Amino acid sequence: MAGQANPFSWRGLGAGFRGASAPAAGGFVFGIAFGLLADQVGLALSTAVLMSMLVYSGTAQFVSLQAWGDPIPLAAICGAILATNARYVLLGASVRPWFHGVGRLKTYASLFLLSEGNWAPALRERLEGRPDAAYMLGCGLAMYASWVSATALGHALGQLIPDPRAFGIDFVLLAFFTVVAAGVWRGRRDIAPLVAAVAVALAVGRLAPGHWYILAGGLAGSLVAALKVDRDA
Amino acid sequence: MTPDVAIALAVMAAVSYACRIGGFLLMRFAPIDAPRVRAWLGGIPIAIMGSLLAPALLKGGPAEWIGFAVAGGTYKATGSDIAAVAAAVLAVALVRTQL
Repeated sequence: MAGQANPFSWRGLGAGFRGASAPAAGGFVFGIAFGLLADQVGLALSTAVLMSMLVYSGTAQFVSLQAWGDPIPLAAICGAILATNARYVLLGASVRPWFHGVGRLKTYASLFLLSEGNWAPALRERLEGRPDAAYMLGCGLAMYASWVSATALGHALGQLIPDPRAFGIDFVLLAFFTVVAAGVWRGRRDIAPLVAAVAVALAVGRLAPGHWYILAGGLAGSLVAALKVDRDA
Repeated sequence: MTPDVAIALAVMAAVSYACRIGGFLLMRFAPIDAPRVRAWLGGIPIAIMGSLLAPALLKGGPAEWIGFAVAGGTYKATGSDIAAVAAAVLAVALVRTQL
């Protein structure tokens, strides 16, 4: 596949935008939750919305809110963002072949919107034989619009939603990850990487704060996959 | 907006974007076509999903476990991610009313 340029078309962009409905809906619910919490912590509407536009990472933003204060503990917040978003390093590495032959501006704009939410559908699209690199950007744009507008709405809503848990709304993201896991499952050869990832993620989650467990589990599982390449090839 | 908030947002944005392009830039120095690198990249999806799900499910209770099964089962049966997410959320809400 390397050596051959990937397409980057309006059609792929549109398909990605439409294909994002499930993660965008999940992101919308979380965006409202973030807006509500930001309001409670005392962030101005403009600050909350700008944070969603610039940082664009749900878990990192939630962690930042928890640490927010006066003066702003910037080092602690940056450490939290790094711990939460280090997993994007792996995602970013995995998309390198997808953008072979695609222009720089398009590539780095697409990377700005990189998250599990658009990476997973784009991966599925590629596995099904449609390698249009614009799909990830289209999907990301839909999620971005959803996340930013939901932040504003949540901030405005204040405390009108009594208990999101009672409606199972907090489960939306986990349900989506479950669907993605079922979609990317490649059968027997994924068993060892999955077991390694789960074991390491659980162990690191117990020992280290933040979201290091995602990076650790992702690294462990994918390295196991790399080590058994000789048997699978 | 006060300057300290503006500076904080700018630095937070830079850290976040650095994570997003970091792996992509590093791959410039790696042989993407080598079988082992391909196998490594191919192993990332299930490893990340397992790492995200397992701790969350362990921390959850019966409602989350049933929601997980309903999401996976509905997706296998229908192939629709929206149907699977909706069914799972409904299942979680229902189980929680019983607890």
